[in-house]
Amino acid sequence: MVDLEKLRTVAKETISRDDVKYLIGWRQGTYGFRVTPCFIEEPGEAEQLIFSPLCTNNLASYLIVTEKLPLPRGEKPDTRKVAVMVKGCDSRAVVQQLIEQGIKREELYIIGCPCEGVLDLKKVEAKFPHILDPVAAQWGKDKIIFQLPEGVVEVPREEVLAQKCLDCRDPNPVIADITLGEEIEAWGNGEYQDVKELEAKSAEERWAFWEDKFSSCIRCYSCRNVCPMCYCKDCILDRLNPSWIYRSTNISENTAFHLSRAFHLAGRCIECGECERVCPVDIPLMKLNQKFSKEVEEKYGYRPGIDPEAKPLQSSYRPDDKEDFIL
Amino acid sequence: MERMKIGKEKFGDFLAALDKQLYAPQKVGETLRFVPITPEDKLDLEFSNTTVPPKSVLFPQTETLYRYELGKTDLNLPDDEAEKVLLGVRPCDARAMAIVDDLFSWDYNDPYYQGKREKTTVVGLACSDPEVNCFCTSVGGGPASTEGLDLLLTDLGEVYLLQPLTEKGNNLCREAAEVLEQATEEDAAAAEKLHQEAAGKIVRKVDTEGVTEKLMELWDHSLWQDLSRACLGCGTCTFLCPTCYCFDIQDEAEGLEGRRCRVWDSCMFAEYTLHASGHNPRPTVRERTRNRVNHKYSYFATKFGKIACVGCGRCINLCPVNIDILNILAEVIKEAI
Repeated sequence: MVDLEKLRTVAKETISRDDVKYLIGWRQGTYGFRVTPCFIEEPGEAEQLIFSPLCTNNLASYLIVTEKLPLPRGEKPDTRKVAVMVKGCDSRAVVQQLIEQGIKREELYIIGCPCEGVLDLKKVEAKFPHILDPVAAQWGKDKIIFQLPEGVVEVPREEVLAQKCLDCRDPNPVIADITLGEEIEAWGNGEYQDVKELEAKSAEERWAFWEDKFSSCIRCYSCRNVCPMCYCKDCILDRLNPSWIYRSTNISENTAFHLSRAFHLAGRCIECGECERVCPVDIPLMKLNQKFSKEVEEKYGYRPGIDPEAKPLQSSYRPDDKEDFIL
Repeated sequence: MERMKIGKEKFGDFLAALDKQLYAPQKVGETLRFVPITPEDKLDLEFSNTTVPPKSVLFPQTETLYRYELGKTDLNLPDDEAEKVLLGVRPCDARAMAIVDDLFSWDYNDPYYQGKREKTTVVGLACSDPEVNCFCTSVGGGPASTEGLDLLLTDLGEVYLLQPLTEKGNNLCREAAEVLEQATEEDAAAAEKLHQEAAGKIVRKVDTEGVTEKLMELWDHSLWQDLSRACLGCGTCTFLCPTCYCFDIQDEAEGLEGRRCRVWDSCMFAEYTLHASGHNPRPTVRERTRNRVNHKYSYFATKFGKIACVGCGRCINLCPVNIDILNILAEVIKEAI
């Protein structure tokens, strides 16, 4: 478990460094169980920082989506580092961004937080509705301990943890300049149980399943925007000439959108589950991404975002790559 | 017309008596939205609110303006709209319709919106169980507000109380007169009590007095940077806002045929204000977040005399990074002189 005092001390030291411009962390949100990403620029602000099962956001997304204004003439760019707090899955995003050369190692100061799994707020808020006052949560043995306004409540972890966390194989940051807390033993088995359940169904049943889910898509693109691996400057979804995917919402265009994104993430998705978490209409996008992860792992023995020295899947070739699936 | 009532078990008969296209909340995927139904469909109105607001019926996310064929000069306009009934609309979403009405009938009378609006009867259902982020009472509404509605239902347990509010509402009651009964004084009193109880359950509040002017004073304030920095630039808050009405116009061709359609657009997208030159007057989430709040609480309010927010709470509930409009307004009020 990450000690809060240690975390804040490290954050203060980090932000006091001359070569760090700001630190991205988590702090209590505006109500209930909500936590919000925060950007710390002064040592005093480090007191806001928290790390708990409520810290769902993958902060590595901000390394890549933060918009930069063009520099005024004559002004030199600020080349100081961005400090970022990462959980295990978030750290895989950083590694994959480095592998793809989306960011440079010298631009980062990485604070690793071993993580015992974050909450699925949809499950939590359904269990404890109508809570306005800020709630704190912490990890216990096989349970989550909530400090609700009416008192302390303990809930078995499998009832409230996000599915991706129940299946997690990477609770420890795979890259960090400093790691807070003890290493945690991984519990995920890499069985892809969710995917196997869908695979066992007929093509018609699978299509009916996805048709229902994709029909509800409102194309807000929150899944794309939150994704730490979706950082093309010129996304095909925004292209108008040619318009690869029409803006109209219907089952055909919505499916094209989700399948394009899934294909573009093949061998790149680091399984942080942010797409599924942020979807306002609850499309189970991780089932789609996990299907690709499963194929990639089975066919090529590759898991993205683990080894900073690895090459991206699509630009690596091994003579012993399997061929038995080529028609 | 007087208040009427109907047993819940007979509600299907009420719907069958109406010779109109019915829309009600149904689950699509995992979430509720308004879709066409038949009187036989199972109705479940026991929810706090739909994820997608009923604006999706009057101002669909994708709407064909006309169809064309290459080499031909005539345009095929959509068919005239059928008479519609929207069932189970929450009072906040109905107020949103009254707000959007002003926009679509302002400098140009939008025939697509008005064509549907005029032929739609809005049947509301008073809220009994507001969510944590509901704040309708801070922006002029309430759990049983009637603005924008033609008929208000109140769930009295075994029966629905029907309160007609407009001529359209009266017409519905007349059409279905055979299955309705006269409501008693006690029924009306019970409904009134429920409405008051529901209003008492609303916990989040903001004082909007003077906020229109305060926002303008704080145009360059650093709070916009601080409060918007976590924004991912997605369209969740605007697409699911019942008063957001921005759209884009697109031509979509397939072979020799095509259509011109309008689709929802969002001021939170970077692309929204991107000029052909490459210049973007709202280059970052700071300017875009400021615009979203200013539009609702200042620009629209200055132009039309009412705040374009009904306090449904969707933008707060569904924001992936907890950008909270009530928090923004609280900061604005705190910082303004």
